[in-house]
Amino acid sequence: MPLVLIARGLDPVLRLWQRCTGTGGMITFFLLPNMAIFGVFVIIPLVLNIIYSMTGGVDILLKDRSFIGLGQYGRLLECQDYLVSTTCREDQFWTAVRNTGTFVLFQVSLMVCVSMITALILNRKIAGRGFFRAVFFFPVLLSPVVVGLIWRWILQRQGLMNLIVTQLGFDPVVWLNDRFFAFSAAIGVSTWAHMGFYTLILLAGLQAIPKDLYEAAEMDATPASRVFWRITLPLLGPNLAVVLVLALIRGVQIFDEAYVLTGGGPGTSTLFITQYIYEVGFASFLRNPGLAAAASILMGLVLVVLTLIQLGLSRRAEKGNAR
Amino acid sequence: MGRIVLKNIRKAFDAVEVIHGVDLEIKEGELVVFVGPSGCGKSTLLRLIAGLDTPTSGSIEIDGRDVTKAGAADRGLAMVFQSYALYPHMTVRQNLSFGLENQRMPKAEIAARVDEAARMLEIDELLGRRPTQLSGGQRQRVAIGRAIVRNPTAFLLDEPLSNLDAELRGTMRAELSALHARLSTTMIYVTHDQVEAMTLADRIVVLRKGVIEQVDTPLNLYNKPQNLFVAGFIGAPNMNFFKVEVKSGKAELPGGAQIAVVHEGPVTLGLRPQHLRLAQPEERAIAAEVFLIESLGAETVLHANVEGAGQIITVLDGQLDIARGAPIRLAFDDANLHAFDAAGQRIG
Ligand SMILES: Nc1ncnc2c1ncn2[C@@H]1O[C@H](COP(=O)(O)OP(=O)(O)OP(=O)(O)O)[C@@H](O)[C@H]1O
Ligand SMILES: [Mg+2]
Repeated sequence: MPLVLIARGLDPVLRLWQRCTGTGGMITFFLLPNMAIFGVFVIIPLVLNIIYSMTGGVDILLKDRSFIGLGQYGRLLECQDYLVSTTCREDQFWTAVRNTGTFVLFQVSLMVCVSMITALILNRKIAGRGFFRAVFFFPVLLSPVVVGLIWRWILQRQGLMNLIVTQLGFDPVVWLNDRFFAFSAAIGVSTWAHMGFYTLILLAGLQAIPKDLYEAAEMDATPASRVFWRITLPLLGPNLAVVLVLALIRGVQIFDEAYVLTGGGPGTSTLFITQYIYEVGFASFLRNPGLAAAASILMGLVLVVLTLIQLGLSRRAEKGNAR
Repeated sequence: MGRIVLKNIRKAFDAVEVIHGVDLEIKEGELVVFVGPSGCGKSTLLRLIAGLDTPTSGSIEIDGRDVTKAGAADRGLAMVFQSYALYPHMTVRQNLSFGLENQRMPKAEIAARVDEAARMLEIDELLGRRPTQLSGGQRQRVAIGRAIVRNPTAFLLDEPLSNLDAELRGTMRAELSALHARLSTTMIYVTHDQVEAMTLADRIVVLRKGVIEQVDTPLNLYNKPQNLFVAGFIGAPNMNFFKVEVKSGKAELPGGAQIAVVHEGPVTLGLRPQHLRLAQPEERAIAAEVFLIESLGAETVLHANVEGAGQIITVLDGQLDIARGAPIRLAFDDANLHAFDAAGQRIG
């Protein structure tokens, strides 16, 4: 009943508002709550971030900080040889950039291939198809922290992996203390955690391809490999492009599961940009919010470009699927 | 080339059998049309011949070779799909060349064949376009072109004209007929349109619920339907039926007219609407009362009630001055009378 009373009470107010502002005003009214949340959690932080990136000092409150223009950006970008991170003033930033670049290159390639193959298999009439679809999608539902923890337990010194290795008669390996294995683990685990999502996109694309095209190809005596390269792949193109760019965006942002899994180590071998920003801004002994803000703006610019590409591509994919 | 023999073909999807033992022999160069109501198994039968599905039992032979176990690719047949199934991302030329490239045919020969087919179907202007940039009729031609370039043993066409408007359907029908005359390749054509069936076919296969009801030339089907189903299915408007009781070789029609039937017991008599005429005063006739008049100009369709025997439809030449509710008397020749026994089979 109180709900009814509230509605009764609001009714005249809303009517008055509508009379004064017209239909357009009503639209504003209903969008307002969400726009307010968006403003508080996205717009204001974004503006603050830009302002912080142009200030110096270790203080956290804006009024204690001094304006230094583009100094933080200059500091980040100061480098004698961009290919050798130790020649840069902020060598950790460039290590993180290089690590993230390598990570994205391998993780995205692996992701696209694995989810493509999985989607192709799940699209066939195999026994237990529904079960396998669930199995591949399930990790997507896990929190990244949980994913990181599970795999740390598997890969730690006395973990499941070493149990198997010793059972097979080999010496145990401290996987996460090895630069190569730790980096590979970050790639493998994040691929495992997110591939279900991309598989789903590709599966939807595969199912949108009319069955009779395949029958026409069969009547044309088309070899299976040619069917894949000349029919499936071109018709899946728009979906594949969306998957590629989405995976790129998420790859650049890699943080949580990798941080829980390796903590950036051993050394800085799995230090990625987001972790660098987090540590410089909040976690390290000498906090530098301005530097962190500048780094996050730089990363944001890369993401904006990727997102624009993604938007363009998904619009094309929609048109393609509507065909 | 192009002789297709089906022997006792059965097809079940899961536990449901939809083709119940079909035997059929299609001669070289013949144009055979499958007709029947929706869901009777026309497409299923065509797909079994194509090799897109495998029969549950029975065998299929093409030119004496048993292809029951062979895949679609090994049968040398070409299919035109109802949806056209053109590759949407390829140009018309690429669509036509695709199957030939699979055969590793030299490029020059592919180009020559594509150009020839395009000229024959008058789509040479469209070779550079994508299917989305074509009209329905043009797509249809491309789909047929894709079948022609392969120079197949036989063409299989599943309702190829059903997505076109009536006028275009008429033109394409005539073109297909001309095409068959020119190529003289075996064609199996599925339709539920009996005008298409009657005009195109060398022989028509009438299917019902997965069983062949009759196989014959169009005119034989019309003149001598073997059972009630075929009698009712072929011809428009549908044949008029009357249930009568034959006693010592004589039956009484509604209205009292006596006719001779070589049978005893319950019989269904059939008369095509076109075979009824307005009776002379003293002539033997069926009496009825008109309740609907459809004047088409060249002919007039009368729907009338026959007392105690339901409705009767008749198609009369020319334009008539008849009012609703008017009593009419309809006469017929005995030669045009069809009689069917209690099991629905033709008598005589
Ligand atoms: N893949 C399938 N799985 C299960 N049942 C099917 C399948 N394909 C066809 N059927 C059934 O087989 C029967 C015949 O279908 P078919 O498509 O051959 O009919 P049709 O004569 O071509 O009809 P239409 O004129 O509507 O195209 C139908 O009852 C249909 O439900
Ligand atoms: Mg069909």
